[in-house]
Amino acid sequence: MDSTPTWKFSDLIADAEVKARWEKVRQYFFLRESTYDMTRRCNIRCNGCYYYEGDKQHTRDNTRADDWRQLMQAEKARGITFVVLAGAEPSLVPDLCQVCFDEIQLGCIATNGLERIPDSVGYRLHISVWGDDETSRKTRHAGRMLVRQLENYAGDPRAVFVYTFTRHNIDQAETVVRTLADHGGRVTFNMFSAPVGYQGGLRHTPHSLAETRRTMVDLLQRYPQTVLFSRYSAMAHTHEKGLHDLFRCPYPRQNPSTDVGLGRSFRQYRTDLTWDRAAACCVPDTDCADCRHYAAASAVVTARLFRHAVEPDIFRSWLDFVDTYLAVWVQGYKKGKNLCDRWIAPPGEELAAN
Amino acid sequence: MRRGQDQRRSTKMAVKTDDIILRIAEIMINELKLEDVTPKTFDPDIDLVDEVGIDSMDLATVALVLRDEYAVRIDEDDYPKLTTVRLIGEYIEKKLAA
Repeated sequence: MDSTPTWKFSDLIADAEVKARWEKVRQYFFLRESTYDMTRRCNIRCNGCYYYEGDKQHTRDNTRADDWRQLMQAEKARGITFVVLAGAEPSLVPDLCQVCFDEIQLGCIATNGLERIPDSVGYRLHISVWGDDETSRKTRHAGRMLVRQLENYAGDPRAVFVYTFTRHNIDQAETVVRTLADHGGRVTFNMFSAPVGYQGGLRHTPHSLAETRRTMVDLLQRYPQTVLFSRYSAMAHTHEKGLHDLFRCPYPRQNPSTDVGLGRSFRQYRTDLTWDRAAACCVPDTDCADCRHYAAASAVVTARLFRHAVEPDIFRSWLDFVDTYLAVWVQGYKKGKNLCDRWIAPPGEELAAN
Repeated sequence: MRRGQDQRRSTKMAVKTDDIILRIAEIMINELKLEDVTPKTFDPDIDLVDEVGIDSMDLATVALVLRDEYAVRIDEDDYPKLTTVRLIGEYIEKKLAA
């Protein structure tokens, strides 16, 4: 017979606080996502941009609203309940974003925040920040990024700023988070994950991973009203091993099964409304061995419920992670207090080195 | 004699499997809040993914409850194969017998 885990699941959820959080997050197990590139156009050009890697940038734009409406209706019919509108810059096609929202009301838009998306598009908005304005000028070739982003989205309940840690902007995160806190904004953290073949200097090192982890937790503790994150989120994103090595990625690029879950339902549509299973994941053309992307982690860690339900603090950490992911991605979801405040290693792994 | 013993064992196994199937159906109904169905009317051969609309997180939740109930572990790699209540029952039966 199999060796049984130390804790029964019924005992893990016997604690009232844990039980309440479990019941809260499981209400969202119905979410089934796919992602959609909206246009090949962008109003800036960032170093290391995922969109302008690989084949997907060479498609044509389908700008016909009726085609998008039909696609969304077909997506809904095959069970998709959550859409992620991304590449290259969705704010440049607000009419198409509106069509998507009219058909499927749960979703998120990844935007650089330089053009305001109309209020009638009620998706969560992820506004990308890659350091202070001086760094943004160098790596994104755009000036006054944070100022302009805040002009558009300060006080907007849809907005979550996404600070991407690279090897070179770790020390700038505090300034950015403080600025966002002063404006009532919310922020979560992402990790630069190298595109396939990337040779630039943004790729993380063991030292920068450890430094990023310390910074994430420091900011989480100092700005609890502003930072949407958890200690386990920090561990999962900054471990020396990438997400695939830690948890085994369930997206189609790494998962041949089409029977159930993301391997069955997830598609990544290009701007011409075609999709390719072999390339399908949340951030196509990322080097899977280096992937620590927040969008990937949201699904990858969440999917591994079973292996986290073995011991109270490991399960609490998983609940913190899922609670964070839902608060980041789902408009209207309110994050609760983190349940575990100690470092927990991913199941079967060692703690990341300090 | 031997034949009779085999028949008795077979009957016992069949009853046991049926009991497990009923219990799995009950867990499915309770955990996933399925409506208009009882453990006895739950078709054990209905495709859980295609026809009931169950997804991987639902299966993981049910697997945790089954782990408590039968002290067997359903490996993550095995989820995709367990597309009906009967297949889950047979899987558990096999694990219990191992």
